[in-house]
Amino acid sequence: MYDFSEVEPLYAERPDWADVTPLQQYQGVDPLAPINYSTEYQDATDYFRGIVKTGEISLRVLQLTEHIIRMNPGHYSAWQYRYRILLALQLPLEEELRLMDQYAIDFLKTYQVWHHRRLLLGALRSVDAAAAELEFVARALDTDEKNYHTWSYRQWILAHFNDEARLWAGERAWVEHMVERDVRNNSAWHHRFFIVWGSGMRVGDEDRERTLKRELMYVKEKIALAPNNPSAWNYLRGILEHTHTPFSTQAIFVQLYTTSASTPGDVFDLDNPPPSASAVLPCENALEFLADIYEQEGGAQISKAIEIWRSLADEHDTMRRKYWEYRIKGASQT
Amino acid sequence: MVELTRTFRPTPSDGLPTSTSVLQKQTEELVVKQLSHYQQVQPNPNAGPPSASLPTEPELSKPLLERKLHLQFLLRNMLQGFPQRYVSQDASQPWLMFWTLQGFSVLGVGLDDKTKKRARDTLLALQHPEGGFCGGPGQAAHLLATYASVCSLAIVGQPGIGGAWDEVDRKKMYDFFMSLKQTDGSFLVAHHAESWILFRYASLTNSGIYCLLAVATLLNIITPELLSGLPEFIVSCQTYEGGFGNASFPEWVFQKGEDSTISFDPSAPRPVLGEAHGGYTFCATASWVLLQPYVRAYYSSPIENDLSSNDDAQSPGLPLPSINYLLLLRWLVRMQGTEIELGGFKGRTNKLVDGCYSWWVGGCLALVEAFIGLGDTEKHAEVDYSGDTGTRAEEDAWHDIDDGLLNREALQEYILYAGQHPAGGLRDKPPKPADAYHTLYCLSGLSAAQHHVAPDESRKTKLIAGWKAEDAQQKAGVCTAQTSTDNQARAAALRRYTFTDALCWLEDEGADKYVGGSGNRVNATQPLFNLTVTHTELMMAHFYGQTLPPRVAQTPAKK
Repeated sequence: MYDFSEVEPLYAERPDWADVTPLQQYQGVDPLAPINYSTEYQDATDYFRGIVKTGEISLRVLQLTEHIIRMNPGHYSAWQYRYRILLALQLPLEEELRLMDQYAIDFLKTYQVWHHRRLLLGALRSVDAAAAELEFVARALDTDEKNYHTWSYRQWILAHFNDEARLWAGERAWVEHMVERDVRNNSAWHHRFFIVWGSGMRVGDEDRERTLKRELMYVKEKIALAPNNPSAWNYLRGILEHTHTPFSTQAIFVQLYTTSASTPGDVFDLDNPPPSASAVLPCENALEFLADIYEQEGGAQISKAIEIWRSLADEHDTMRRKYWEYRIKGASQT
Repeated sequence: MVELTRTFRPTPSDGLPTSTSVLQKQTEELVVKQLSHYQQVQPNPNAGPPSASLPTEPELSKPLLERKLHLQFLLRNMLQGFPQRYVSQDASQPWLMFWTLQGFSVLGVGLDDKTKKRARDTLLALQHPEGGFCGGPGQAAHLLATYASVCSLAIVGQPGIGGAWDEVDRKKMYDFFMSLKQTDGSFLVAHHAESWILFRYASLTNSGIYCLLAVATLLNIITPELLSGLPEFIVSCQTYEGGFGNASFPEWVFQKGEDSTISFDPSAPRPVLGEAHGGYTFCATASWVLLQPYVRAYYSSPIENDLSSNDDAQSPGLPLPSINYLLLLRWLVRMQGTEIELGGFKGRTNKLVDGCYSWWVGGCLALVEAFIGLGDTEKHAEVDYSGDTGTRAEEDAWHDIDDGLLNREALQEYILYAGQHPAGGLRDKPPKPADAYHTLYCLSGLSAAQHHVAPDESRKTKLIAGWKAEDAQQKAGVCTAQTSTDNQARAAALRRYTFTDALCWLEDEGADKYVGGSGNRVNATQPLFNLTVTHTELMMAHFYGQTLPPRVAQTPAKK
C-alpha cells in the first residue's frame, strides 16, 4: 500500500510522470458553479484525465486512482478505472479487499466503496472471501448501525451465495443480536424479513406454519418490550400480509395495547405478551391495527373501525388527520 | 399570527432508551426549539423543568421565506464557485448545477442570457463522446449525471445553434442506455415476441432507472426495447413496509443454465436489497408513473382505441405487474414527523426528519395523490364527510377543498421554521449548515406543499387533439425497426402516451396555500421531473416536434 500521508511532490513535478500530458477539466469554457479545488486534487485529477485519454493500464495508475479516491471517495470513474486495472493486470483481489477494509472505515457512507467490494467478491467467487466479507460488514454495522449500503451489501452477499449453508448458518442469531442492541433499528428488521421471508425457503425452514409461529412470537415479544416502535409493528403486519394471515388472528394481543389501563392477567399467555410496565399506552400502532381488523371483518364492525380512526385523527395521531379521514371515507363507501 | 393549539408530544420511548430513541429525543428538542425564534410571547421562565418550557400555546410570528438570503446563497455558489469541501461532489458536477439552476427556477428567478450561455457551455463539456453525460469533464458517463445535465439544459437551453438542445447526441445517449442493459454480466432474454425482451442489469437501481426514464421521456428516445422488464423490476422493489428499496436481487428470476442459456422464472423470489427509503421510493414511484404509457401500450391487448382489426393485435399482452398503492400511501404518510418534529419528513422508519425528504417523500406523496386522483378539488368537491366532520369543514376552508393526505401546512412549517439557515440556503435540520442539495430539495418540498400539480383531463384531450404523430416520429432521437403492424401501432401509441401523459400535469390554480402568506410563494414544479411545467413543455415540444395548445388559466376553485 502506498503511503499518501507523506508530503509528495505534485505529479506535475515528478519525473516518473513526465511522459503523461495532464488534461485540464474545462478548456475554452469559463465554467459556471465550479468547485474550488485544492492544488493537490486538481493536479491528481488533471493527470487522471490525461491517463483516461491514453488508456494506460499500469501500477502507477492504480496508485493514482487510490490517491484520488482517498481525496474523494465519490469519484466513480476512478473506481471504475481501478477495477479495470485490477482485472487486466490480474492483481490479487483478496489484497484489494483488505485495502478496502481501511477505506470502508474512512468512507463508510460512500456507495462506491461498497459497490467496489461487491464487484471484487463477485469476481473472486470465493466462499471464504464471502465469509470474511460478512464479518467485515458486521464490524462496519457496529459503528454505523443503519448504513443503507452496508445492509444492502450484506443482503446481496447472502443471496448471491444462497446455497452456502455455512454463510447462512448464524444469520438469524446475528440479526437478533442487532435487534437486541436497538429494537428500533429498522434496517435490522428489514434484514430479518429478507432472510426469513424474502429470499425463499431455506433447508430446515420448510414448515412455514412453524416459521410463522416462531416469527409471531418473536415480534410480539419485541412489541411488548417497547410498544411505540413502528419497526416491530411493520414487521408484524408484513409477515401477516406475506403469509395471507388475517389480522384478526392477533386481536387478543393487539387489544392489550389499545387501552391505557394495562390489565395484567393472572396467567402469562405466551402468545399474547402484555406491554411492559413502563409502556406508554394506548399505542397508536395498535389502534391502527385494531381498526384494520374491524375493517377486514366488515359489516357492523366498520363503525368500530371508524370510531378508532376518528380518535386517531382527533387525538392520537393528529398530524395524519387527513389520512385517517381518507380511511373513514374508504370504509364508508364500501 | 399563527395560533398554536397543538401539543408537542415527545415520541414515547416506553422506558427503554436505545440509540434510536436517544437521537430522536435530541432531534425533537432541537427542532421544536426553532419555534422560540418566532415566538412573540415568551413562555413563563418559572414554568418548571426544560421539557415544560417547550412552547405549548404561544403566538408565533409568521414564518418568512428568506428569499433574498437564499438567492444570495445560490448566486455565491454559482458565480464564486463552491468551497473546497465540495470536492466530495466533484463527480456530481451536473447535480451542483441542477440544484442551483432549479433553485433559481423554484424561487421564480430567471437568469440573464450570458449566464445561461455559460451554463450551457459548462454542461456540454460534460457530454461523453460515446453518449450520455458525466459527473465531470473526462469522467465516465453516468445515468444520474445524465438526468441532472438534461434537466439543467431544460432550464438554460433552447433550440437552434448555440442553444445546446440540438447538441445533445440522443442517438449515442440511447446507445449508452442500451449498453447498460448488457454490461456487468447482464443478458437479454427473449420473451415470446421479438421486441418484448426481459433483461437484468446487475447494478440496476431505482435511482438509475428513474434518471433514465425521465431523460428518455424528455428527449423522445423511448422505445419498448429500452423499457422492457422495467415495470417488473420496479414492482419487485416494494418492501413489506410499503416504501421501496433501491434494488432487488435478480439472479433467481433469471437463471443461467449449464449451456449458458438463460431461463426466466417470474415465480422465483426477487427479494428487495435494502429497506424502504425515501429517495428510492420517490424514484420508484416516479418511474412507475413514467412507465404507464409503456404499460398501457404493451400490457393490454388490443391497445385502447389505437389498433384496427388487425390479426397481429390478438397476441396477448404481458401479465400486468402492479404496485400496492394502499401500502405505499400508508408508508408515505407515516414518514411525516409529528407536531414536535414540526411535520418534517423522515426517509426511513425510525430515522430522523431531514429537510431533503420534504421533496423525496413529501413530493412523492403529492405525486401519488395526484396520480390516483386524491386531492383533486374538482373531482371531490361533492364529497361530504358524514357526522361531526361537517362543522370542521366549515371552520377550515382549506381542509374542505383539499382532499390530499399530505399535511401541507405542517410541511411548510418545518421548512420555514427549521429548514432555513439564518445565513442563507436551506438545510437538513438545525444546527446543520446549508448546502446546495438541501437548498433545492427543501424548496421543491415547499413547492409541493404549496401547490397542487396533477394530471388534467381537459389538457390531455387538447394535447391528443393536437398530436402530430409523424412529426413526433421524425423528431425521435432513435428509430427502431418494428416489423409487424401490431408492433408499429404499439410503438406509435407509446410515443403519444409518453408525450401526453407527461405534459397533462398542470397546476390547479385554485388549490394553492401559503403558510406565512402569499409572499412565501415559490413556483410550482412538475413532480415527475422536478422542473417547472413551462420548462418541461418547452423541452418536450421541441424534441417531439409539437406545437402546444395554449394553456388557459383555470378558474380558481375558491376565492
